[in-house]
Amino acid sequence: MPPVTCPDIHMKSYRWIFIVLALLIGIGAGLAYGWIIDPVDFFDLTPDTLRADYKSDYVLMVAEAYQAERDPGLAARRLGIFGTQSPSTIAASGLAYARANGFSDSDITLMQELVTALQAWSGIQ
Amino acid sequence: MRRFPWAIILALLAGLGLGLVYSWVISPARVIDAEPLTLRTDFKDHYRSAIAAAYAATGNLPRAQARLSLLANSDPIEALNAQAQRMLASGQSLEQADQVAALASALEHGVALESTSTTIPQIANTIVITSTPPLDSSAVPSEITETPQPTETQATINASTPRPSRTSIPTLGAPFALTGQETVCDPNLPDGLLQVIVFDSRRRQLPGAKIMMTWDGGEEEFFTGLKPELGNGYADFIMDPSTTYTMQLGAGSDIASGLTTSTCQSSDGENFTGGVKLTFQQP
Repeated sequence: MPPVTCPDIHMKSYRWIFIVLALLIGIGAGLAYGWIIDPVDFFDLTPDTLRADYKSDYVLMVAEAYQAERDPGLAARRLGIFGTQSPSTIAASGLAYARANGFSDSDITLMQELVTALQAWSGIQ
Repeated sequence: MRRFPWAIILALLAGLGLGLVYSWVISPARVIDAEPLTLRTDFKDHYRSAIAAAYAATGNLPRAQARLSLLANSDPIEALNAQAQRMLASGQSLEQADQVAALASALEHGVALESTSTTIPQIANTIVITSTPPLDSSAVPSEITETPQPTETQATINASTPRPSRTSIPTLGAPFALTGQETVCDPNLPDGLLQVIVFDSRRRQLPGAKIMMTWDGGEEEFFTGLKPELGNGYADFIMDPSTTYTMQLGAGSDIASGLTTSTCQSSDGENFTGGVKLTFQQP
């Protein structure tokens, strides 16, 4: 049996380093592909995942309807689809977005009225 | 001669597989800034209801159309009509079902109730996708943020935006007037078919209107709008040729009495049983 020489030992340890590096590069490439290049397509999402501008527009719809219906309970139920936050908090978030993003004054007024009504309504509940 | 580095290639492929399994199955990227078209069907219904309620309040059809387009239905009118029927069938508020049907009707005829403003809220054009932290957080960024685009400003047709005015919502309690009663002799229709069409005060077909049929020894209730392909305010009933019926929509409405089938003659001289068509409208 030939004696084990230093170059053999070095070759084997280098080889393992290359294998581990290849594994890590593969994992990195897989993650990059799966998260960035071709992420999972999502559907059947819940409203809390909506982008802030869509949420704000939904709050505006509820505010417009509230303007005619004057039913804070119904408005609260409509906002309830966003999940665990209170309706007045959801409406206030929408109002804050509307103010920061140049919604028209009339829209902001409607949303403000909704927030006020929901705050009063939640105090009664 | 150097050996081909199979072990390294295999390690690379194994790593790639592990990375894909983790990123597609175990911890897929979580979208936090979704668009309405990705919502679950029932939430899309809520979204449509809110659009319809806002339209009923403001009469702003362009804005309602813009909002509906976010749901990317191939036929929004059909989607709204179908939803109105589902709402009626599941016993939801008639008023809300009517709002949905009214929006469908307005889209069909392209008529705004009371035009106020056509400004559409600004929608920022940003996309943010975040993912759960990767195995090696230094290898893959955990957050990818597309550079925010300049905010898209929608066209404003009216420079000044008047406050939306309150729009009256048709109520089913208002009495209906019998505005039309005619004998129908159409061999293509079922024998003894009683057709009822109900309009609201704006000449819009009204779904969900309860119809009471009574006759000697019996009564039956049915609703308009259950056959949306024939109109939201349409309902029908098969009459027995030997029976005389009385029909009423709601308290205080006109009563159509003495309803019975008639004998009609086809072009080739054969007799068949004809029907009746009644039209009701809120004054």
